[in-house]
Order: sequence, then structure tokens, then C-alpha cells
Amino acid sequence: MTDALLFLHVLAAFALMGTVVVFSAVALGSPVNTRAVSVANVLWAAGGLGTIVFGVWLALDIDGYGLLDFWIIAAIVLWAVATELGRRAQDAVTDRAGGLFAQWHWLRAAVVVLLLADMIFKPGA
Amino acid sequence: MTTLALIRPSEWEIPLFFHVLGAMVLVGASLLALTALATAWRADDAAALRVGYRALLLGALPGWLVMRVFAQITLDKSPFDEDSTWVTIGFITSEPLLLFLIAATVLAGISSRRAAGGTRVRVAVVLVAILLLAYLVTLWAMTTKPA
Repeated sequence: MTDALLFLHVLAAFALMGTVVVFSAVALGSPVNTRAVSVANVLWAAGGLGTIVFGVWLALDIDGYGLLDFWIIAAIVLWAVATELGRRAQDAVTDRAGGLFAQWHWLRAAVVVLLLADMIFKPGA
Repeated sequence: MTTLALIRPSEWEIPLFFHVLGAMVLVGASLLALTALATAWRADDAAALRVGYRALLLGALPGWLVMRVFAQITLDKSPFDEDSTWVTIGFITSEPLLLFLIAATVLAGISSRRAAGGTRVRVAVVLVAILLLAYLVTLWAMTTKPA
């Protein structure tokens, strides 16, 4: 059970980073590929839901981990911040001339990398 | 899952971080390349062709390199056995399939330079699709660590 949950949690995390890579290409000046952006938006939604649901499930399932552990609280906060930044980036992607798209996107990318670091280093665990 | 996977000594957390980050960039860039090249295949779109080629050249290949280098460093510093099934799956899906990645990049590059789709783009799409399926299997192996 734990193995399956971990696989699904990490798969969801890969989906989140997939979105970040696609949006990074757009932020770096690549033409907006409608299909790629649509796929990225679906991945962001599925990855966001998957990481939080399977992540919380894992925290409850594994002995020694708890929802009140510092690194898990930090992950939930970072996830919420990334979700909001992602929403703003998605709203702005079609209007890159406004200048806000790149700002929201790179902030989101930084938060997602921080989220990965939190998962690997588990500060306070 | 083994206890080792849950409680890691700090000396291999940094290489593990870069290994996973490289793998994520590799998968994300491959996904972008697949969607862009598929668009180029169906709509004969030169801009999509360029996006697909650059995603492979500037995203997937560097991602592969970071993933592979830090995989070896992580393996060397960790107590994991290099002959474990899950490590072997990682080797199989990284090194031999690098040829697929290089071939897809070259095919997409030639097509992009000539601004023409055709068979080359179709083959590149198939190769990248195979890579993504292999990466899915690898992700399963890395997370569940079958004996």
C-alpha cells in the first residue's frame, strides 16, 4: 500500500514539474503551443491534487511521520503558495505582453523546486 | 518500501535532490517535445517543430545528463546494491534509451532546419513516446524498489 501511494505521489510531483517545464519554455520566449499548454494545465491540476491527497495519505500511513511534522507543514504551505502562483501564471499565459506571466511563472517554479528540496531533505525530521 | 528509503543519511541527500530534479526536467521536456512534435506532425507547424526540437536539445538532454551523473553519485554514496533489480531497471532505461533520445533530437533538428515534417517527425514522436513510457516504468521501479 505504501509503495503504491509513494509511486502515485511522486508521479503527481513529476506532473507538476512537467507543467513548470512547459511554462518555462513559454516564459523563455517559445511560441505558445496551445496543445502543450492545455496538457500542462491538466497536469498541473492532476499533479496538484495527486501530490496533496497521496502526500497526506502517506504521512498518515507511515509510522514516524505525522501531519504536524515541520517539513510536512512546510510542504503543505509551499503547495498552497505554488497552487495560487500557478493559477495566476495560467491566467496570464495568453497575455505575455502584460509582463506578469513571467513573474508568476518563475515564482511558481522556485516554489516547486523548494517543495522538492523539502521532500528530499525533510528539515526537522 | 525499505526503511532506508525513508531515513536517508545526509551525505546523499544533495546528489539525490539533483538526480530527481534532473529526472523531472527530462520528463517535463520530453512531454513538451511530444506534444509539440505531435502538433507539427498533424498540422505541419514549423513553430511547433522548433519548440519540440529545442525541448529535446535544451531540456531533455541536459536533464538526462544531470539525472545520470547524480544517480551514480547517489548510488556510490548510498548503501544500495548496484545489482538490485530496481537499479538495473534504472540503468536499462537511462543508458540504452539515451540513443532514442539522441535519435529523436537529431530527427527533430533536421526537420526543424528544413522546416519540413514527414516521416522524420513521426519517428521522433514515436521515439519520445517510448521514452516517456520507459520513464514511467523507471519511476515505478525507483519508488517501489522491487527486489
